[in-house]
Formats: sequence, structure tokens, C-alpha cells
Amino acid sequence: MFGAFRASSVAHGGLLWKTPWKLSTTRKANVRSRLKKVDAVIEAVRASGMQCTALAKALELPKEHEMLPRDKYTVFSPHARGYRKGVHKVPKWTRLTLRTNPEGF
Amino acid sequence: MTATRRGLTTAATNTPESLTHYKITLRRSAISLPESFKATLVSLGIHRRMQTVYHPHTPECAGKILKVKELVEVENVPVSAVRTKTEQRQERKAMRGYKVVRSTLS
Repeated sequence: MFGAFRASSVAHGGLLWKTPWKLSTTRKANVRSRLKKVDAVIEAVRASGMQCTALAKALELPKEHEMLPRDKYTVFSPHARGYRKGVHKVPKWTRLTLRTNPEGF
Repeated sequence: MTATRRGLTTAATNTPESLTHYKITLRRSAISLPESFKATLVSLGIHRRMQTVYHPHTPECAGKILKVKELVEVENVPVSAVRTKTEQRQERKAMRGYKVVRSTLS
């Protein structure tokens, strides 16, 4: 149990990467900055005056300042306890739209 | 910060030149995203990060931009600001030759 040859995750597997369960202050600031940049893109397309389905859908998304912290930093997960998990657990999360929740969640 | 810059761009519409083109710059790569994202970028004429392309305002182009909205940065520009790839490269280039600032002999 103790000593140099004790059983641990690292000793067994060799390499161990841990993902923190919540985002740090800096990572949350980066999330907000990315959300704002996407808002700017949607705003630029809206300002161009074009009409299309994609724009109608994009305008339905909540803006960064309208979102609750809960929606910014966590996402719905059917398997997680409380139906929420950190947004950083989603693969490719920095380049995906993860702003809305399913009905009732 | 970016939002303020957008606001200024929009405020500049009262100048005689109307904004007719999208200036699209790829900021984030589509590596390891679904093929459809890469295909959208190819159809916009973008094949590397930080590349800038110009497209006239059309609903088709607007839809493509919104498909890859997490990856690009978009600005509305007038026709006079549109640059081809060659012109962009020319603008980046340093001036040829040199200029004499002062002489140490006199």
C-alpha cells in the first residue's frame, strides 16, 4: 500500500491524464471570449442584411451576455449525475455550438 | 473589444461607400472536425489558417459563414477594400530598394 512500488493508476498504466471536473477562472474567461467572437460573426452576417435559414437559426441562439453561467460552462448530459457535465468534457468543445439545452433541461 | 470594433464598422455605413462584401479570415483550423466543415471552408476558398478571402454578400455565402462561425472572423467591407490573393501579398511585401537617411562623411 505504501512505498515505492505501491499500486497506483500511474504505476499500472504508465501515463495518466486527468481532466479537472470544473474549469479554472482563466479557462472560463477564454470560454467567454470565444463566445463573444462567435457573437461578433453572427452580428456581422446579420448586419449584411442577408436572409437565410442559417441566420434565423443563429439569431435564435442566446448571446454571451444573455447566457447563464450554468449554460456557458456546463452542458446537458443524459448520463451525468444531475444531467450536467463540464463543457470541457465534450470533444472539440471549443469549436462547437453548445449553447442550448434540450427541452425541459 | 471585438464587439466595439464591429459597432464602429456598422457606424461607418453612413459614408458614401456601402458595405457589399464579407472579409473572411480563418482563425481556427477545421482539423479533426467533421468533413462537412472542411468542405464548407474549401467552398469558401479557404485552405489554410489566417488566410483571408472576400465574398460578395449573398444568402449562400452567409449560410456558409454561419456553418463555420466558430472558426472564422468576419467583417463587412466595401468593394474598394476587396483584395485578391496577389494584391494581399503585394501589400505585405517590404518596399524595394533603400533610402539614404544621412551621410556620415559630411
